[in-house]
Amino acid sequence: MNIESHYRKIILLFVLVAAGIFMAAIDIKPLYVDPYKLEYPDYFGNRISIPEDNPTTKQGVYLGRMLFYETKLSSSKTISCASCHQQKLAFTDGKAFSSGIDNMPTKRSSMSLANLLWVRNFFWDGRAKGLEEQAKFPLNDPHEMGNYVNKAVKELQKTKEYPILFREAFGSAEITGDKITKAIAQFERTLISADSRYDKYLRNEYKPSEQELKGMELFMNSPIPEKNIRGANCAQCHGTPKMYMELFHNNGLDEEPKDIGREEFTGAANDKGRFRVATLRNIALTAPYMHDGRFKTLEEVLDHYNEHIIASKTLSISLRNNSNNINGKNLGLTTDEKSNIISFLKMLTDSTFISNPKFSDPHLKHAINN
Amino acid sequence: MKNELLSFVLITTLFFSSFHNNVVAQNSSKEAVLKVEGEVLKPLSISASDFAKIPHVQASMKNREGKLQEYSGVPIIEILKQAGVTLGKELKGENLTKYMLVRGSDGYEVVFSLVELDPAFTNRIIILADMKDGKPLENGVGPFRLVVPEENRPARSVLEVSHLIIRFAKD
Repeated sequence: MNIESHYRKIILLFVLVAAGIFMAAIDIKPLYVDPYKLEYPDYFGNRISIPEDNPTTKQGVYLGRMLFYETKLSSSKTISCASCHQQKLAFTDGKAFSSGIDNMPTKRSSMSLANLLWVRNFFWDGRAKGLEEQAKFPLNDPHEMGNYVNKAVKELQKTKEYPILFREAFGSAEITGDKITKAIAQFERTLISADSRYDKYLRNEYKPSEQELKGMELFMNSPIPEKNIRGANCAQCHGTPKMYMELFHNNGLDEEPKDIGREEFTGAANDKGRFRVATLRNIALTAPYMHDGRFKTLEEVLDHYNEHIIASKTLSISLRNNSNNINGKNLGLTTDEKSNIISFLKMLTDSTFISNPKFSDPHLKHAINN
Repeated sequence: MKNELLSFVLITTLFFSSFHNNVVAQNSSKEAVLKVEGEVLKPLSISASDFAKIPHVQASMKNREGKLQEYSGVPIIEILKQAGVTLGKELKGENLTKYMLVRGSDGYEVVFSLVELDPAFTNRIIILADMKDGKPLENGVGPFRLVVPEENRPARSVLEVSHLIIRFAKD
């Protein structure tokens, strides 16, 4: 009788332990429970890049946003991604060259971040395939963020909030460098700018001024002086509503460039002085311009393309022999035409994008709430 | 003694040959290559100098101003045959959904369906040219340029071709 009751107790205990383990097991949140809906206009097309091993989820995006603004990722604890990519400036920093942890200037101007979902090769020279790969560069650079990831991983692991956020985003509370770059990439994919006056014009919600319309026409047209068609040929490389094409061109800045651009990465002589065709979205906010920030204003940029293209072996074919005058030596736009084009470029400023609370510093929100 | 002499000769030769290689490497940057990859049996990487040895044909196309220009190069079909792409009798069934993505070194990309390239389907011969008027192609155009005859706009005649990539169209 006594022995039987012992057996019963042991069986009961066994059942309880098994049930406990089972309940603990089902308590582990399944991965990627809340997909993040990336919304964008049809005219952007669907040639987007999201790696299979890093789907965009609400939890991943939130974690990525926390990390994007996290200064603990730098050795000096002063620099985050947002130091060089500030929302109010369409995620650039207003400087020709940024400075990182030790105030050493970076080699190139920090790029504006918008509509990265469609970009396949990142940086001015296209050296990083995918946002996950891109994020590793500034984190591991000794001058930008101080190559601090491995130590930052340990420090974040000790915090109260991060292990929970990593668990929610990736199913386990273990923090790794790989997960950090994946989460940052997820957040960056959500930085979609599609609410400028130009977008509203494309959606028939905005009637551009006469000056804007003239500028738009010049922007889109290639000049054919024989047929009296005036144009600035901008759309050759910046056409399509995304305002860039994924091309790497030498845009005639120097005959012998100090910074050889894409050649450094590919080793190919025909890539000398070639840099990414940057997006023109929010261009009025992202001065100074070019990979080295040599132009302070849009007027200077227009003057460059109109009058100061420097010929070299690798000068883009799109920038050779273009003129609004028969046998003209340069593009030949008038002062009025240049200012019309600038009016059109200002249509690309998206004030919703630069004030969207979804993209702002979540740490500040905590501070305010507390 | 004989052995010592032999090894001396060998070491001297090696020294000079490696010295020569270094000099060559310093004087020239990487030679441009054409890569053929994707749905191929044998991925290829053809240098400009090897390309010049493949039998050439002529093809002509209009430039932007509408002037007919004569190029010399290798029919795309011959390059794809070397890479073991499904052509001729094999170009049927699901293989009819294959396309060739052509990429220039500046990132420019266009596509052709395999059917557009195969003489079993079309008489138009698209070539990858490396010469125009008996001379190598100019900077920004060569070393390889696609020449697509009989098109109203030269947009698919890609300049500075670096990759031919064969893929299945997947819906």
